[in-house]
Amino acid sequence: MKTVTIDPITRLEGHGKINIFLNDQGNVENAYLQIPELRGFERFSQGRRGEDMPQITSRICGVCPVAHHFASTKALDQAFNVDPPSAAKKLRELMYAGYIIYDHILHFYYLGGPDFIVGPDAPAAQRNILGVIEKAGVNIGKEVIKHRAYGQKITSILGGKATHPVSGLPGGVSKSLDGDEVANIKEMVDSCVSFANLSLKLFHEIVLDNESYVSLITSDPYQLNTYNMALVDEDNHLNFYDGTIRVTDQEGEEHLRFNGDEYYNVISEHVEPWSYMKFPYLKDIGWKGLKDGKNSGIYRVGPLGRLNASDGMATPQANKEYKEFFKTLGGLPVNSTLAYHWARLIELLYATERAKELIHDSEITSNKIRNPVGKPGEGFGVVEAARGTLIHHYKLDSKGLIKKANLIVATTNNAGAITMSVRDAAKGIIQKGCVDDGILNKVEMAFRAYDPCFACATHSLPGGMPLQVDIYDSNKKLYKSFQK
Amino acid sequence: MKTIVLGIGNPLLGDDGVGVHIARQLRTRISQPGVTIDESYTGGMNLLDLIRGYDRAILIDTIHKKDENVGSVNRYDLSDLPTIHSCNPHDTSLSEAIMFAKQLGDDHIPTEIIIYGISLQDHCRVFTEQLSHAVQHAIPKTIDLIISDLESMNN
Repeated sequence: MKTVTIDPITRLEGHGKINIFLNDQGNVENAYLQIPELRGFERFSQGRRGEDMPQITSRICGVCPVAHHFASTKALDQAFNVDPPSAAKKLRELMYAGYIIYDHILHFYYLGGPDFIVGPDAPAAQRNILGVIEKAGVNIGKEVIKHRAYGQKITSILGGKATHPVSGLPGGVSKSLDGDEVANIKEMVDSCVSFANLSLKLFHEIVLDNESYVSLITSDPYQLNTYNMALVDEDNHLNFYDGTIRVTDQEGEEHLRFNGDEYYNVISEHVEPWSYMKFPYLKDIGWKGLKDGKNSGIYRVGPLGRLNASDGMATPQANKEYKEFFKTLGGLPVNSTLAYHWARLIELLYATERAKELIHDSEITSNKIRNPVGKPGEGFGVVEAARGTLIHHYKLDSKGLIKKANLIVATTNNAGAITMSVRDAAKGIIQKGCVDDGILNKVEMAFRAYDPCFACATHSLPGGMPLQVDIYDSNKKLYKSFQK
Repeated sequence: MKTIVLGIGNPLLGDDGVGVHIARQLRTRISQPGVTIDESYTGGMNLLDLIRGYDRAILIDTIHKKDENVGSVNRYDLSDLPTIHSCNPHDTSLSEAIMFAKQLGDDHIPTEIIIYGISLQDHCRVFTEQLSHAVQHAIPKTIDLIISDLESMNN
């Protein structure tokens, strides 16, 4: 059989592309990250029934169906002027915790972790989950499989199929929990709490106890000093499902806080001629180019952005680790892009502890799970997707049909930060035209830390997105090209 | 022998969803015992979850290859898939997911995995539920190929 150069299973929805330009000395002049554009979501949505949007939008993305499902459901709550009963909110949040559990496990062990557990300079063929198991042991591998499946099981018990949630309705959810399901989830959640702790222990032993890794994490090419953004509760503790959007500054102080419906007042989007991607920034600070610092309106979302924008975690074990995180890495805020991985594991622990609280809540088996909807209008729904703040915005007509639909996805919120991180890593790591797989991997690590969802950022399905890296010499001639 | 026929793609993105369209049509054509027909829009580990427990898996998906005509259908097996290292920033490739599962002693992986790849002109970047004519023409051909596959497997 002939060789297939494109994996037909992980489809090619478009290339993520990094263009690196070298100067006469072979050092990096500049580097750009390019994302293909996908179009027509608004037009596609127009005229559809509002209540169909949680199902439609959960199908946009094979990775974050639950995040889209609930951003959409929450936008409909507001659009239909209804506040769901307390039990419905708890059921949604529990389901959401299941999603964070499986998604964060997937990222750490399969995607981000190999760089640390196997090593950033290891041959590409070993920097994967198989290499992780070789290093950490088959038993860890079995635990990874088991708990990723538990996260999905929790999600599917509450939401129908894990990849096609159907439970979110404006005003509540369609399904309550029975006693057997509660018992089943309790057992899985207990195991997930232990597994999250085990994962952190592994991270401490393999990464934090290794001086060279810590110095890699804190090294200059991976630093970015932006604003940070997260959804927080009234105590400024991180909350994935609900709360107020909080932005903190370079000293870790609150800069502003706002609700979803104020998004357009607070955030503007900048367009660069070389990219299809929009770059959101804080309006009051302004667009100052792809720069960090207090005078530039660029902010970060996702695990590191969230820890930086929170005053702590709402659960005890995660909060203890939160304190350790800032103590180890030099205080709030932490600007090391590679610290996203540790932050992700702290969030995993929080999600498991929060799931445990919710499944032991006496209200979780309540049958009062939906309130009647009011007249249709406009709504914003905000959640913290695994990768960062996600906002759905709909306008409905008097019949409840979609007039306007807009999605602001996590990776779009991170667009400026990811682009700068890739550029700065390339500048710091590529010297005198010397580029090999190991060097390139260290550039890629800057982008992988964010767990970016480019396909989703361009409104497509992230089945697969090979990364192409093109390096040009000082005459803008193609010097080397790598296809991942 | 338990077989799953899985149409993969996103029907919200035009031609990308052709695998799902084919699976839906196959449902009306096939009622063999032991054959499950399903659809999915996911890859990697999630895909592995869907085919675990079957002896055989037939996957229908799109492929973008410069040297193929739009709408042409090719049959591949898993060894044709090039990558052990993930080419996806989010998930592993199916072959990597399978190797991982096997390393952990998972004995529920299908022994035979066949992939039908339908060539696309370009990446699907516009939201629509319509298929292009060229890709539409691939549907009956792919259905015939799969039906004959299933028949020969039974013999």
